Amino acid sequence: MSLWLRSALLLLLIALAGWWLTGATRSTADELPLHTGDVTSGERVFWAGGCASCHASPVDGKRARGEDKLLLGGGLELDTPYGLFRVPNISPHDQDGIGAWSTLDFVNAMRHGVSPRGKHYYPSFPYTSYARMPIEDLIDLEAYLKTLPAVDGRIANHELGFPWSIRRGLGLWKRLYLDDAPVADIDVSNSELVLGQMLVEGAGHCGECHTPRNRLGAMLSDRWLGGAPNPEGKGRIPNITPGSENLAGWSARDLEYYFESGFTPEFDTVGGTMVAVQENLAMLSAEDRAAITAYLKAIPPVE
Amino acid sequence: MLKTIGAFALSLCLLAGLTAANAAGDPIEKRHELMEDVGEAAKPIGLMMRGDSDYDWDVVLTSLKTFDSVSHEFGDLFPEGSETGGNTEAAPAIWTDREGFDEALAMWREATGEAIAAEPQTLDAARPSLGGVFKTCKNCHDGYRIEDE
Repeated sequence: MSLWLRSALLLLLIALAGWWLTGATRSTADELPLHTGDVTSGERVFWAGGCASCHASPVDGKRARGEDKLLLGGGLELDTPYGLFRVPNISPHDQDGIGAWSTLDFVNAMRHGVSPRGKHYYPSFPYTSYARMPIEDLIDLEAYLKTLPAVDGRIANHELGFPWSIRRGLGLWKRLYLDDAPVADIDVSNSELVLGQMLVEGAGHCGECHTPRNRLGAMLSDRWLGGAPNPEGKGRIPNITPGSENLAGWSARDLEYYFESGFTPEFDTVGGTMVAVQENLAMLSAEDRAAITAYLKAIPPVE
Repeated sequence: MLKTIGAFALSLCLLAGLTAANAAGDPIEKRHELMEDVGEAAKPIGLMMRGDSDYDWDVVLTSLKTFDSVSHEFGDLFPEGSETGGNTEAAPAIWTDREGFDEALAMWREATGEAIAAEPQTLDAARPSLGGVFKTCKNCHDGYRIEDE
């Protein structure tokens, strides 16, 4: 074989490997459990997941409140160091939202960050956390979302800087960083902790803001929930591990009351981006809030 | 020479005068003080609502009176020029949406007035009106306070 031919073959192999490495991994229909979506359970998942905080269309430039949180037409813009992310319409509108999606499409978006047409989503959509959710919860959530009003209007694409603008590169990123295994090492015989872990690490996607990231935007698991720069502006998102200075002296009761009411132990009110999160947490049951609290008290302290 | 000393002395006096005026009337400073007072007053009510201390109407009333007096003077402490500085957490919306801010303050004042008028003698009787007052704290902070997270 001539040198030229060998070089050409090698290049072709590299190209094929690159194409494969950057490709999309998806679940297939036979991987879905036999489970019928339960709307009531789905509503709980919806609030635990905080879908409305990003996907509810802003009203007069302000975040949606009350019933407006159920109009998931998207349109919020996230101005980040990577560029401008525009939150899409996930209302059940057939053309502009996700009304025409199958359950499998929905599961693939949530677990693998892949669109129905096989394109990668950016992890600004926190599938890195949602991948840890039970598939039954995803099916319930889909059933609930389908009961919400359809909203008109397709949202324009993100505007990102190079090299983040190369969507295909996310395939490689996911091979490195997308992992559905639990993060914190907890006592799995304690059912409350297991529930808390599922809510915090999965649907609640708390780590997405509270955990610092490396230069490629992947969470540092050894600093899990240990506080991080605010992804959308100045200041810091606090450390919420037992090693936190901010939360030193907060009892489990203090945390539960904060999640329920939005008041700190000093009876100041919740602030910043946590306002919307707390409103979602208030929609959960006291048992769910207690489980989240138990988990936060049990994880390794980050100093 | 004398003229220079005179000018120097005069400017010293002016400077001292200005500083004194600032310390007495700095609206940002005053805002912080009043909100500290409100926080202190909120705490005993909050502890009762959480069930961590016994309900005591006299204590509640003292706190509500603090809310009432602060809610009457607080709105006057946001003149032009006090938008920034002194670690203020006042959001620009206070000046761009003055009407909304005044309304949020009025809601606090009215909810406080209703709670005082209700004179609830038990925690269960007090929950709706006190909860209503607390809601107005969050409402105003949400729109008109910026967070230094």
